[in-house]
Amino acid sequence: MDQKNSISAIIDDYLNGSLNPAELAAFEELRKNDPAIDHQVVAQKVFLETLKYYAEHERLMEQMNSIHDELDVYTLSTPFKPHPSKIVRLWRNYKSAITVAASFLILATAVLFSIRSQSKQEGSLKLLDRKVSQLNQSQNHIIRVMNNDVKLANSKPAQFGGTGFAISSNGFILTNYHVVKGADSLYIQNTKGVAFKVERYYTDPINDIAILKVIDPNFPNLKSLPYSIKKGGAALGEAVYTLGYPKDDIVLGNGYVSSKSGINGDSLAYQVAIPVNPGNSGGPLLDYKGNIVGVINGKEDKVDGAAFAVKSKYILEAIQAIPGDSLEKKVAVGKKSTLMGLKRQQQVEKIQDYIFMIKVYN
Amino acid sequence: MSVKERSSIPTDREVILGILNGSEIILNKLYVGYFPMILQFILNNNGSEEDAKDVYQEGIIVLYDKVRSDDFELSSKLKTYLYSICRRIWLKKLNQTQKKNYYIADFEEVLEIENDIELWEEKEKQFLQMKSALKSLGEPCKTIIEDFYIHNLSMQDICEKFGYTNSDNAKTQKYKCLQRLKKLFFKV
Repeated sequence: MDQKNSISAIIDDYLNGSLNPAELAAFEELRKNDPAIDHQVVAQKVFLETLKYYAEHERLMEQMNSIHDELDVYTLSTPFKPHPSKIVRLWRNYKSAITVAASFLILATAVLFSIRSQSKQEGSLKLLDRKVSQLNQSQNHIIRVMNNDVKLANSKPAQFGGTGFAISSNGFILTNYHVVKGADSLYIQNTKGVAFKVERYYTDPINDIAILKVIDPNFPNLKSLPYSIKKGGAALGEAVYTLGYPKDDIVLGNGYVSSKSGINGDSLAYQVAIPVNPGNSGGPLLDYKGNIVGVINGKEDKVDGAAFAVKSKYILEAIQAIPGDSLEKKVAVGKKSTLMGLKRQQQVEKIQDYIFMIKVYN
Repeated sequence: MSVKERSSIPTDREVILGILNGSEIILNKLYVGYFPMILQFILNNNGSEEDAKDVYQEGIIVLYDKVRSDDFELSSKLKTYLYSICRRIWLKKLNQTQKKNYYIADFEEVLEIENDIELWEEKEKQFLQMKSALKSLGEPCKTIIEDFYIHNLSMQDICEKFGYTNSDNAKTQKYKCLQRLKKLFFKV
């Protein structure tokens, strides 16, 4: 015990620097040779440093406490304290959140006002809703019910028809999704009355676009497509025409782009003043330079001559979804069409071989 | 000391020199000068006046350690440093008691002070260890150690205060107490 204490005492003196040179040398030799003593030295050092830190800490605390006691904390804190009024308190605590919320509100109000000013032109919002349902109805109508003179009622499945057009020479046909929705089997028929079996290759229900692929081995490859797809939008008032199969023979419809948005401000579609009938769905909408600007997909029941067409932008999106190498001699995009400068009857003559009737069996 | 003098905040240079010299006047000026800043911060971030006091005092201790450390280098205004430290300490306390990701309303520029905070946490741990060792040391050892190391009383004073016959006895007693404290400290 005594020896232990004396070693501790020496370590103390060593750390305090109060050993004389001879003792210091002897102790350092001892420390080097005895790890246990070295450990004790380190431990003692840590302990004394901590004690010193603790002492300083406590001393500072005491000083600060006495300073603090002289402070009039109440007076100091009054301006910062939660305000008795709840609103002021809320404002202080959530200043930034409130600012964000307020700017959002202002924005929302602005948007609402702009929506209201739009809806004024078309009457009430309810009316528009009804129109949407009417559109759905009319979209069903625009698919031609074939053989409806055969009154076999439900014993035979009904057959519907639409229109489609080639987007490549090797049998990729674009039409509306609603034409082929729920179909068991699909056929296309060209102007000569020959039918080929097709299958669904790609569908986009949101933009109402479907791409079909001919699987019939007898399908003769088409020549290079005469039309191209327009990259930009069509201008308001631009003269357009469509080809489709509202009856067994191909029918030309003629009109102009009457609005850059479809029903209910639908920005996916154009409104076109063009006579369309059941069976026109999926037909191409062309301008007079031979560019496809859209796909006819519906009309409004109550308004005469108001049809709707999916914008060509979404046709492009659909085409891009198909691996490039599966499309042979695919439709040109944003280029001058070979139909440019031709008279309309010449254009129609060239195009009609690429427009097909879609026959749907279910 | 007039009110005007008390409210004047010493320059950073004065504060650093004061800390190194252990000047009480500077501590006083420093404490009084920046307390309102921290008080405002804490009161506006779910804290009380007591919280403000605790956090502020911890912050000043960190500042003292920083200034007294060997590699001291001040790269910002003292005010900003003190604010950043206190903010970080308060955030830590908030996270211990309340749900995480508490949104802090700031009133000053904030510095990146993670290294200093880590150092402080380490020292704080040792501080608490020493505190609990001292607590379990018992009387009269605790008072002797505190008087000698914290209040800087001489052995003579301690001798008189505790009625030891001579200062050698007091010294032996203090030495024994220190050994016991050391044992307790390393045991905890």
